[in-house]
Amino acid sequence: MTQTEKQLTEKESLDLIAMMINKAKDTRRDTGIAAIMWGAVIAICSLVRLSEIHFGYKLPFDIYLLTFAAVIPQIYFSVKEKKKRKAKAYGDVFFDNMWMAFGICIFLMIFITGSIYSGLKPMTEEYQKLTGHSAPFHFYEFNSSFFLLLYGLPTFVTGVSMKFKPMLWGGLLCWVCCIVTIYTTVKIDLILTALSSIFAWFIPGLIMEKDYRKAKKGLAAANV
Amino acid sequence: MKEENFSPEQSLQLIQTMISKTKQDMSDNSIYFLVWGWLTFFACTGQFVLKHIYNYEKHYLVWLVVIVGIIFSIYQGRKEKKRSRATSYIDDSIKYLWSGMAASFFVLGMILTKLGWGIVVFPFFIMLYGLGTFVSGSIIRFRPLVIGGIVAWALAIGSTLVSYDYQMLFGAAAILVSYIIPAYMLRSRNNIANK
Repeated sequence: MTQTEKQLTEKESLDLIAMMINKAKDTRRDTGIAAIMWGAVIAICSLVRLSEIHFGYKLPFDIYLLTFAAVIPQIYFSVKEKKKRKAKAYGDVFFDNMWMAFGICIFLMIFITGSIYSGLKPMTEEYQKLTGHSAPFHFYEFNSSFFLLLYGLPTFVTGVSMKFKPMLWGGLLCWVCCIVTIYTTVKIDLILTALSSIFAWFIPGLIMEKDYRKAKKGLAAANV
Repeated sequence: MKEENFSPEQSLQLIQTMISKTKQDMSDNSIYFLVWGWLTFFACTGQFVLKHIYNYEKHYLVWLVVIVGIIFSIYQGRKEKKRSRATSYIDDSIKYLWSGMAASFFVLGMILTKLGWGIVVFPFFIMLYGLGTFVSGSIIRFRPLVIGGIVAWALAIGSTLVSYDYQMLFGAAAILVSYIIPAYMLRSRNNIANK
């Protein structure tokens, strides 16, 4: 490090950092493909489950297994995007880690809610046997609320950090829907989950994808 | 504005400076981690003692101690607002993350109020503690926080296998490894660095 570099004033340092951020913001053009995929997958799963309940049929497999299958293209997109990135911006580290932590928490949530449900099931069955009517509440009625709570967190933080309003509002919508689902029936819960995933991920993903294509085109034109 | 070209070394150095500054800021603000950490630790263990040992019916009242944390946070926040200082991208990321965490705790509280606080509450809280500390640790590249987050997740799984009473102790352990110990380590590390 040279002597001149050491003597940067506070203002100069701040300008430098601000410039770096602006530079990072301008160059951060992620494809929205993963967001589009997850938005569609969650919406499809919720709506198919809704139709199962409403029309009284059952698919030969659990529709939510689709979310596990979607992990494979997600890995493919991540690897592809990583290769495309010439350099990893500091913001990427933050977003990568946050979404990874979110993924881990989704698995934990499945495990936690599953074990609570299986722990409470004998009790609710016994209640029904003793009293002759259904238990006053079923734990599965709160499933959507717990998942919407988690969906909101990384979406909101990503939206506010990237100053990307569609995701910010999408994250807030997840939390609002989460609170509403506490008081609504399972059918309404599923509709609200589908709605949240479309507004939090699918639509912002489409906007990101459009921006990405526009930026790519602009870059190609500049290189001509 | 004139465009300046940074060498890779200069860019890395700048990022390193930003991380160090955020580490220092987090160390300065570790008082939040410590106050909330110790209050929650006290509440978890206190509730266990009251419920499991003394069979006290209103064992949950011990959680009223969080009011102390809220008053402290408001007071400290106002005090710090007066001290204007420049913030970096990393500072902002941490701020947004913990704002999101606070909103999540609030929404979780609403779910549990309807579901009933006496059923199973601790695994959800422990999982969220883990998320916040894991991501914070990754941003500032401070391994004890990352490890604390991972251990908290393991404790969240473990807590589903034990009775409600013992889940309180899992909650206390999660707070210890993910908040209290990393906060002290961050403090001592920065104290040594500043000497």
